[in-house]
Amino acid sequence: MLLEVLLALVLGAVVLLVLRRSKAAVLKTEDGWWGAGSPPAGAEDESIRPFRVETSREEIEDLQRRIDQTRPVPSLEDSQFNYGFNSTYLQKVAAYWRNEFNWSKQVDKLNQYPHFKTKIEGIDVHYVHVKPKNLPEGRTAVPLIMVHGWPGSFYEFYGILPLLTEPANADDVAFEVICPSIPGYGFSEAPRKKGAWTRLGVPQARAAGVAIANMRLCSGRPGFNSVCAARVFLKLMRRLGFGRFYAQGGDWGWQITTNMAQLDPTAVKGLHINFAPVENVGPLVILSILLGRRFPGLFGFTELDVKRLYPRVEKMLVEPLKETGYFHIQATKPDTAGRGLNDSPVGLAAYILEKFSTWTDHEFRNLEDGGLERKFSLEDLLTNVMIYWTTGSITSSMRFYKENFAKGFYPPHARIPVTVPTGVAAFPNELMHTPKLWAKQKNHKLKTYTTMARGGHFAAMEEPGLMAQDIQKFIKVVEGKK
Amino acid sequence: MWTLQELDRPKLQLLALSSVGIGLTYFLVWRRKAKKSIPLGDGWWGHGQQTLRDDNKIYPFKVETSEDEINDLHRRIDQMRYTEPLEDCGFQYGFNSNYLQKVVSYWRNQFDWKKQVAKLNEYPHFKTNIEGLDVHFVHVRAPHRPGQKVLPLMLVHGWPGSFFEFYKILPLLTDTKDDLAFEVICPSIPGYGFSEAPHKQGFCSLDAARIFLKLMERLGFNKFYLQGGDWGSLITTNMAQMKPQCVSGLHLNMLAVTKRGVGMLLSLIIGPYLPFLVGFTREDVRRLFPYFEKNVYDLLMESGYMHIQGTKPDTAGCGLNDSPVGLAAYILEKFSTWTDRKNRDLEDGDLEKKYSLDDLLTNVMIYWTTRSIIPSMRFYKENFKTNPQNRVDARTGIFVPMGHAAFPNELMHCPLPWARWRFKDIRSYSYMPRGGHFAAFEEPRLLAEDFVKFVRKVEGKKR
Repeated sequence: MLLEVLLALVLGAVVLLVLRRSKAAVLKTEDGWWGAGSPPAGAEDESIRPFRVETSREEIEDLQRRIDQTRPVPSLEDSQFNYGFNSTYLQKVAAYWRNEFNWSKQVDKLNQYPHFKTKIEGIDVHYVHVKPKNLPEGRTAVPLIMVHGWPGSFYEFYGILPLLTEPANADDVAFEVICPSIPGYGFSEAPRKKGAWTRLGVPQARAAGVAIANMRLCSGRPGFNSVCAARVFLKLMRRLGFGRFYAQGGDWGWQITTNMAQLDPTAVKGLHINFAPVENVGPLVILSILLGRRFPGLFGFTELDVKRLYPRVEKMLVEPLKETGYFHIQATKPDTAGRGLNDSPVGLAAYILEKFSTWTDHEFRNLEDGGLERKFSLEDLLTNVMIYWTTGSITSSMRFYKENFAKGFYPPHARIPVTVPTGVAAFPNELMHTPKLWAKQKNHKLKTYTTMARGGHFAAMEEPGLMAQDIQKFIKVVEGKK
Repeated sequence: MWTLQELDRPKLQLLALSSVGIGLTYFLVWRRKAKKSIPLGDGWWGHGQQTLRDDNKIYPFKVETSEDEINDLHRRIDQMRYTEPLEDCGFQYGFNSNYLQKVVSYWRNQFDWKKQVAKLNEYPHFKTNIEGLDVHFVHVRAPHRPGQKVLPLMLVHGWPGSFFEFYKILPLLTDTKDDLAFEVICPSIPGYGFSEAPHKQGFCSLDAARIFLKLMERLGFNKFYLQGGDWGSLITTNMAQMKPQCVSGLHLNMLAVTKRGVGMLLSLIIGPYLPFLVGFTREDVRRLFPYFEKNVYDLLMESGYMHIQGTKPDTAGCGLNDSPVGLAAYILEKFSTWTDRKNRDLEDGDLEKKYSLDDLLTNVMIYWTTRSIIPSMRFYKENFKTNPQNRVDARTGIFVPMGHAAFPNELMHCPLPWARWRFKDIRSYSYMPRGGHFAAFEEPRLLAEDFVKFVRKVEGKKR
């Protein structure tokens, strides 16, 4: 079996080498319009409106009523979190949510920073805009956009925002931070238009000059994918008067900020990412997979690299398969997947919080309580869930997966490198581990690559101190070089 | 005349080698012909430790409902929080929200659960405790007609179906006017509907098969026919592998290809061009190719549910157990798409073309009222824990008479030459004119006809 896998990899590498088309240097995109019906005549309303998160007694009572109506099903004996969110622990979380969680207080916490909305391409885009309060004379704040992922939100950054806008260290850079919500997530309006695809059969694909190895058997207009989100966020930054800025992201935030750097390399001064999966598996990557265990030095593999990548079949095939069920169903049937979660808050919490457990540390699957409260407070976790619940945005958040994978795993932007200065923070428990060599294949100006001491997928929320430190380190390298 | 002592060394060696060679050949040929079965094993799935021996009694069971149950359902339906679908998306993103509202409105205002419960109770239900679990089944006897041979038969359902899928085909099998009729047992897989869910990990199709074999034994059937699709196909196949001496014949409307290899690769490469060379008919070619699009791409598009249920069933089912609308969307999306893939492009998924909302919702209610969506999903994880291709049943052939009804819109097509790799005694293979995955539900008459045709072939050959 392993031999077949290896042979397939080598064959795939040869095919890719032979059939690869020439790389385009810059990612191209067209304007879009995502509102209901047709775009109105006349210019778009570009005003920026202040926004406050609000709640009501009805909203809270409705939530509590629904929590009371939960019909729990006991987990299998000794199964912990291996079958998904453990039922016994879920009842504890639900009880806390019902009786102790104070949503009004959390809403006040959300409103401690100023929120705004503005219409771009037909939809209302929400963002938080945080300026440093005590900037010393003569210093300007460095603009930074931080983009969240799924199932996260702008709220994930609330722990790191003070560290970036009011750094304790006098040498550190003070940032002015924009945290938008991806359209379809939380307080940003969801796109109404879908992708229009026609599937090509193999003969038509050949005629259209599409390499079969690319699995790109579709043609048409894309739905609202990461490139569209990147374009919308570039427009947002421009509208706010930022000609040049830094970008930070993990999960979808990584993809979107990467696309921003690809769409407009002059606007993005530097890109800091905590998630960097390989999209374009070239011959060097394949070689390092095959030989990296025996000759780690040859590829610059650290101890962590070897630990995370080998044994190959277990780490690169079995583990990802175990954890990508959600991805598969969301990338194919998002409306079905999200339907029940929009009526059942406990169901929504189980679905979302399972990720906060497992993606923080895979070992947590063997714990009765999923280790959830080791790194996060229930208050913070449920606030994030409430953002999905109160806005009813779980289904539209899932659609983003389908729109991004409609063209298979190898869309145009996967083949285009990133030419702006990049910094990678490699957290040891991240979902997919990317050694420095692999990150360099895509990010041609890799300035910093840090193996972080601890932390998983939700790095900004779990380890804000470590993340802020690395962002500072990266900025200093980029700014220092100027 | 030569004697052994007179043979010189090279000749002796040649003699020894050829003897061994012939012996080995005979042995291998004999081994192939010998009927193999897979071990029965045993299990216990109740709470805690096993204390008492199985209570062998069979208890009559009636499906019941209450005002509370119906009011609770209505209340939850009223609380549905609508999400607008994307414009013009049909069923491509999953169950269309606009059409869902129509279904839900029918469910809330016109669907009569009490009437459907009475319909369910038209046939006698029973429960009996096997391996620590209460196993539910429907037992339909044929009316005694003179000159009629009555053969025992077990029908096994799949996901997201139930014993109720067989309600239309039951009269066609039990209440026939000719010389052949059937006495039918329709069990519910443990974890589905009215069968108790296992409390221990590891309950897979082999365990379900063994439990159903014990059930037939308890009911006094020594030899019987089996019919199944979806999980029912795998479970009945396992039953035939465990006790081939008990299975008169195995009829399947879904065949999963498990043994891949060079043979399959060759037939895929040569098949479209020289089908006869690899044993394909024109119909096979029509249904299989373009292979990549139909079998890889389409399967990827449609197997998201399988992936999440096979890894995180408790998470996947949690919200569906509180939201009846969510449950209905999740289940009925399959009844739309797996009946005909073209339904994905339609606003209403053409759901009511082949099924009535009453029947569809009755099936959903079986999952809803018994809270069995999560245990039903766990079955996927339990079956995928070990690599399905390496499990003992995947490596063993099936030697009982088998018949296959190949429906055109089934999820995957298995041509006869591929089926022959595992099924060593195929008596009938039919290309059905129409129908999809839920064959018994959608085309009961066609399925019944093909099944009876198969049985006649098997019974005819016996003597």
